Amino acid sequence: MLAYTLRRLWQFIPTLGGVVLLVFFVFNFVGGDPAYLLAGKIPNPETIANIRKQLGVDEPYAVQLWIFVKQILTGDFGASWSTNERVSQIFATRLGPSLTVLVPLLMISTLLGMAGAMLVAYVRGSLTDRAVMVACTVAQSVSILVYILVFQYLFAYQLGWFPVQGWGVTFMDNLLRYAVLAIVVGVAVSLAPDVRLYRTFFLDEINQDYVRTARAKGMSETRIMWVHVLRNAAIPIVTNVLLQLPGLLAGAFLIERFFGIPGIGREVILAVERSDFPIIKAVTVYVALATMVVNLAADLLYKAIDPRVQLK
Amino acid sequence: MRTWLAVLLIALTSPSFAQNGGKILHITFQAAETGFDPVRVHDYYSGHVLEAVYDTLLTYDYLARPAKLVPNAAEMPEVSADGKTYTFRIKKGIAFTDDPAFKGKKRELTAQDFAYSIRRFFDPKNRSPYAFLYTGKIVGLDALGEQAKKSGKFDYDAPVAGLQTPDRYTLVIRLNESDRDLPYVLAFPVTSAVAREVIEAYGDESPSHPVGTGPFYLKRYVRSSKIELARNPGYRGKVWNFDPGDNPRFREIAERMKGKRLPAIDGVDISIMEETQSRWLAFQQGQTDWEYQLWDISPNFMTDDGKLKPEFVRRGIQLDRTVDPEIVYLYFNMQDKVGDVPNPFAGFGKEKIALRRAVMMAYNIDDHIRIIRKGQAVHAQYPIPPGVVGHDPKYVSSIPYDPAAANALLDRYGYRKGKDGFRRQPNGDALVLRYYSNPTERDRMYDELMKRGMDAIGIRMEILKDRFPELLKMEKQCRTMVKHAAWIADWPDGDNFMQLLYGPNTFESNNACYKSPEYDKRYKKSRTLPPGPERDQLYHEMTRIMETDSVWLLVDSRVRNTLQQPNVIGFTKHPVLHAEWMYIDLDPKTQY
Repeated sequence: MLAYTLRRLWQFIPTLGGVVLLVFFVFNFVGGDPAYLLAGKIPNPETIANIRKQLGVDEPYAVQLWIFVKQILTGDFGASWSTNERVSQIFATRLGPSLTVLVPLLMISTLLGMAGAMLVAYVRGSLTDRAVMVACTVAQSVSILVYILVFQYLFAYQLGWFPVQGWGVTFMDNLLRYAVLAIVVGVAVSLAPDVRLYRTFFLDEINQDYVRTARAKGMSETRIMWVHVLRNAAIPIVTNVLLQLPGLLAGAFLIERFFGIPGIGREVILAVERSDFPIIKAVTVYVALATMVVNLAADLLYKAIDPRVQLK
Repeated sequence: MRTWLAVLLIALTSPSFAQNGGKILHITFQAAETGFDPVRVHDYYSGHVLEAVYDTLLTYDYLARPAKLVPNAAEMPEVSADGKTYTFRIKKGIAFTDDPAFKGKKRELTAQDFAYSIRRFFDPKNRSPYAFLYTGKIVGLDALGEQAKKSGKFDYDAPVAGLQTPDRYTLVIRLNESDRDLPYVLAFPVTSAVAREVIEAYGDESPSHPVGTGPFYLKRYVRSSKIELARNPGYRGKVWNFDPGDNPRFREIAERMKGKRLPAIDGVDISIMEETQSRWLAFQQGQTDWEYQLWDISPNFMTDDGKLKPEFVRRGIQLDRTVDPEIVYLYFNMQDKVGDVPNPFAGFGKEKIALRRAVMMAYNIDDHIRIIRKGQAVHAQYPIPPGVVGHDPKYVSSIPYDPAAANALLDRYGYRKGKDGFRRQPNGDALVLRYYSNPTERDRMYDELMKRGMDAIGIRMEILKDRFPELLKMEKQCRTMVKHAAWIADWPDGDNFMQLLYGPNTFESNNACYKSPEYDKRYKKSRTLPPGPERDQLYHEMTRIMETDSVWLLVDSRVRNTLQQPNVIGFTKHPVLHAEWMYIDLDPKTQY
């Protein structure tokens, strides 16, 4: 296992190199010139030249790329071009709100998804199974924007169960008051695809020989489903959940914008709007690294859950 | 389990989600701020906070229209006969809010602080987006900036002939040339005074550590999410005493506010809400006290004749309606080439002017206001909008909407239609109008209106989309052929608008890259004149020259509808000031 882990870690380098090159060239050739954004209403060529110099974007590309590599090695991406806030500070302060929403969201949607999937897999082919699948297809076809607009209007404004938006000071205040509706929306959006996907995992297991053997041995259906089938189906489910996390961190921007949550996703959108390259660089590298680490962790977890899995 | 659910339910349904001690005004910003260091700010919303936290030398009378300068941290300046020397007397006893940078001592605002703050615009490290306010104006300051660019270090202690502080409370500014805009510049929030100790103590973090002498101080700050301001306990205070004139609405405000010590509220709680639905629902739910950023959904609360719908009136919601000091215009690039492509719309020959005029006559501004602005805008006739000195409400543009006349004009000047139904240039070359816009929902509506207009006169149109930063760059490099643009007043004087067509401002603010000796001659002369009939006459002539050359089509100025909860007292939108929080009060007894 150690050799496998080291080999996978070694493969991080070329993968990350590819990400760095891609981000660097995309930003420099299609990302827009930040100097014009920062130069205000009446920029003159001298102002533009000074800003470019101060940001270092007047340096040759090779020098800029080397600076990027050094930033990755030191973990110091400098400061935001538009606000001067340290990038490390941005991550330190935005990660908490994002996780306050995303961790409960993933936990709840996974548990509900698994429960629903197990139920419909158990009664596969029945009217219930078909009705749930049709409902999931319909729910999956609706944009997240619709969920946000409807839920915000209905539960926050009409019924007054939650604040329309906002973010408080304490963790509990945020978790129990401000994050709840965002979590509900997130769960509503992810439940349908989760149920559909997890159902296939359960069906794969239900049709395995060991299930038939267990039944032949007289084991109860409850034990078969909750102990044997669930344990084996959990392997791809865990992988799926882990792989979602890095993308969700940066991708939950719509939820964060509508509900006023000061998280990473909102910051990413701001950075793109402002051509704020230090933040874009950091987010891209961190998400790429997190994805690779999570992938590795998922593979190792596979081995831990199922000893039959061979790591090569 | 039941107990836990009960606790959760109580937590979720507790009254008022935004309760705080005292009279706290709750408002929103539509976009995230960038920070509160005056010389570094480059966005609209951060300027609001600057205005509340810092002091400028001068400010504006809350109720005077057009806006009128009044003393603030200094008395009105003494101006030399040649208009080149301004002497400001700083008021004594104004103190900065406490900060560790002052090491426990009370820190008084002095003339040196203003001199230091002006110098900061020229420090290359600050890359100030508003350096243009002073560029080329103050004797010796540009040279100091140039020196810093070479040496890499700005010498804040070097003497500057144009910035003198003969004593603790006197600031003398000497200009290279007479400049009547200087007092307006010195009322602009980015020119507020900062303390050198604070800037040096916080370094690059200065945007998140504003320490000023204004009516409020920054109490809590979560970037891009929440800004909480509290009343500055050491603020010198002002008494609400503005002349309402004959305006009935202003009289009503004066009746309720006169004599109150300012600021009358205890704080301002600002939430950043980018989405219109969130802002609208938050206002309706009573989470915010006023809201104006609702153009997209104005039919929800406005009647067609510009009044508040009865259901909102019944709830006691108040409406303040004013035209923003801004213009939106459609411009043609006047350079012969746009990038490497020949520009068929450039030139001063009759056929070129006819072509541009025909395009302008095909753009339906009434539809623009009805569809894009949802009726909440006025047709701009003059380059200087209402509320700005020099605006002429009687002026009528000489460019009507008339597609039939536009077609006749094109026929007359030889722009014949080909077999494909599109017109060609008189020499037979293809004629393509390249229109630039952002990939946003609003700009898609601009595209459609433009396309409809061009189809009506048989001109082939290509729509080129790019992100805002890239379009901005192209615009400033004179590489956009035809585009909509907007300008909002930095200060309420016509010069701030008329400079947009001044030839030497090409590659800066003159997006059309228009160079007309006749226009430029009059503009230069207008700079030497005080506001008044003589200058107005020049502005009229300049506007007619621009119209004759058919460079701009003036489109509209938006109407700002500010909805207020029933507890808000004394609000009216000032044409230039952003932080009206200083001049209003909240009625704690009013329930809604």
